[in-house]
Amino acid sequence: MRISPPKNWRLKETLYSVTLGKCENCGNVMYPYQPLCNSCGSTNVKKIVSKGHGKLIEYTISYQSREGYEKAMPMAIGLIELDEGIKILAPLTEAEDIKEGSEVEAVLRRITADSTNGLIQYGIKFRVINNARDNR
Amino acid sequence: MVSIAEVSLTKVDRYYEYSEKDLAIEVYKQLETKLKERPKPDIIIVSSGYMESINKSTLSAVKIANYLGFKGAKTLRVENGDNGGAAIYTAYSFIRSGLANSVLLVGIDKFSDLNSKQLNDVLATNLLHEHEYHLGLTNHAYAAILTKLYMKKYNVSYEYFTNWPIKMHDNAVENPYAYLRFKADLKTIVSSQLVAEPLRIFDTAARGDGASIILMTNDEIVKKYTDTPVYLDKISGASFDYSYDLDLPSLKLALKEINYSLSQNDIIELHDSYSIIAALELEELGLEKGKSLNEFESYQVNYSGGLKARGYPGAATAMYQLAEIVMQLRGDFPGRKAVGEKGIIISTDDLATSSYVSVLRR
Repeated sequence: MRISPPKNWRLKETLYSVTLGKCENCGNVMYPYQPLCNSCGSTNVKKIVSKGHGKLIEYTISYQSREGYEKAMPMAIGLIELDEGIKILAPLTEAEDIKEGSEVEAVLRRITADSTNGLIQYGIKFRVINNARDNR
Repeated sequence: MVSIAEVSLTKVDRYYEYSEKDLAIEVYKQLETKLKERPKPDIIIVSSGYMESINKSTLSAVKIANYLGFKGAKTLRVENGDNGGAAIYTAYSFIRSGLANSVLLVGIDKFSDLNSKQLNDVLATNLLHEHEYHLGLTNHAYAAILTKLYMKKYNVSYEYFTNWPIKMHDNAVENPYAYLRFKADLKTIVSSQLVAEPLRIFDTAARGDGASIILMTNDEIVKKYTDTPVYLDKISGASFDYSYDLDLPSLKLALKEINYSLSQNDIIELHDSYSIIAALELEELGLEKGKSLNEFESYQVNYSGGLKARGYPGAATAMYQLAEIVMQLRGDFPGRKAVGEKGIIISTDDLATSSYVSVLRR
C-alpha cells in the first residue's frame, strides 16, 4: 500500500490547505506549519491558514514521472511566492497558458490513487487565476 | 592524523547479475590484494542512501561485516541522502577521537534494480516529505527551476550548461571505472531527451550501480598496510534549507569552516548531480557567478568524469571521489591525470542541502 490513511490524516492541514507558521518573535514564515521557529528557535509560532494566493516566480514542465503519478504527466510545476512572503514548489493545474509573474491560487485536486485498495490522495495544486476565470 | 591506507572500487555500471553483497565482496577482494596484511577494522561503516528502499534490506552494515568475515566488529550505516561525505566525516571522527584505530568504509548503492519511475520515487523521498513528496514532485523539477532562475539572472542560454557534460564525457573516456565512456557533442546534448524543461538527460547524473571500499586508519598503524598512505587532513560539513537564491549555503558554510580558497593546483572532485549544481558548487568555490561553466577548465575538476559520466552510484559516490583523489595524489589514477599535492572532495546530496568538504594530501 502506497497511501497511508493515518499519515494522510496527520498531514491534513498540509495536504488539504496551505497552513503556515508565523513566528511572533522574528517574523519567519514556515510551510508546512510547525510549532518551533526554524530561524530563531522560538516556540511562539502562530498558525495561519493562508488564502493560497501568490505569484508564479518560475515554472517547469516535467516529463519524467514517478511511479503512481503517471497520469499527471507531463506535470507543470511552479515556484510560487505566497502573499505571506514564502516561496514554495507545487504542481500547477489547468495550466494551458502559464506565464511567469501570473497570479495563482491554491485549489484542491486529486493527486494519485492507491492501486491496491483504491485509496485516493488529494492535495494542493495551484492554478493561474486569470486562466481560471476565463474558463468559467 | 587520519590516513587512507588503500582504496578499491568497481566500474559504475548496471550489475543485473550481482547483489550488494556480491559487489561488496568484489571490491573487498581487490582491496585485500593491495594491502600488506588483512585489515582488522574496529568498525565497519556503510554509506548507502537507498538500500532499504531499493532492495528492502536494513541492517546493511551488520550484513556486510558478516559477508566480509568481520564478525565481532562494530558496525554502522550512515544515511544522509546521496551524501557519502557524511560517512567520510563519521569515519574520520572515529579515528581522530581515538575510538577506532582503523575503519573500513564501504560505499554502496544499486540503482539498476529499479526502473526509472520507481527510482524517481525513491530519490524523491529526499524532498520535503510532508508535502512535496506527496504531491508527486521530483528532484529534477527543483533543478530545472534553479536552471531557469540562473538563465534569467545571468542572461545565459541553455547552451551555457552544455559545457559541463561535454567536458565530463571527455574526461570519462579515459577513466576505466566510468559508466558512460563516450564523447558527447553539443548537438547530441541539445537534442537529447527532455527531462524537466530546460533540463535534458545530459544535465542529470548517470545512475548506476557501484561499490567502493576504503581502509582508513590512524598514522601509527597505516604503515602496517601500505608504504604510500594519503592523509585526510580536514573535513567539514553543514546543512541548510533549499535555496532559490542561486547559492549553496551548506557548501558556503562548510568551506568557511576550513577556510578553503580555490587553487589551480588542487585536484577537485565535486558532486555534479545536475549541471546547475556543478555551476553553483564552482561558484561557491570561488569562480565568477554566471560564468563558472565557461571558466572551470583552467582548474583540475572532475577528471573522473563526475556524476555525469563516471556515473552516480548514490551514497557510494563520495567513496568513489575519495578513491579517485587518493589515486590521483599517488599518481596511479588510470584515467586523465592531475598534478598537485592537495585533493578536495565536495560531497553533497542531490540538491546540496547538505555538504561535506574533505581535504587530502600526500
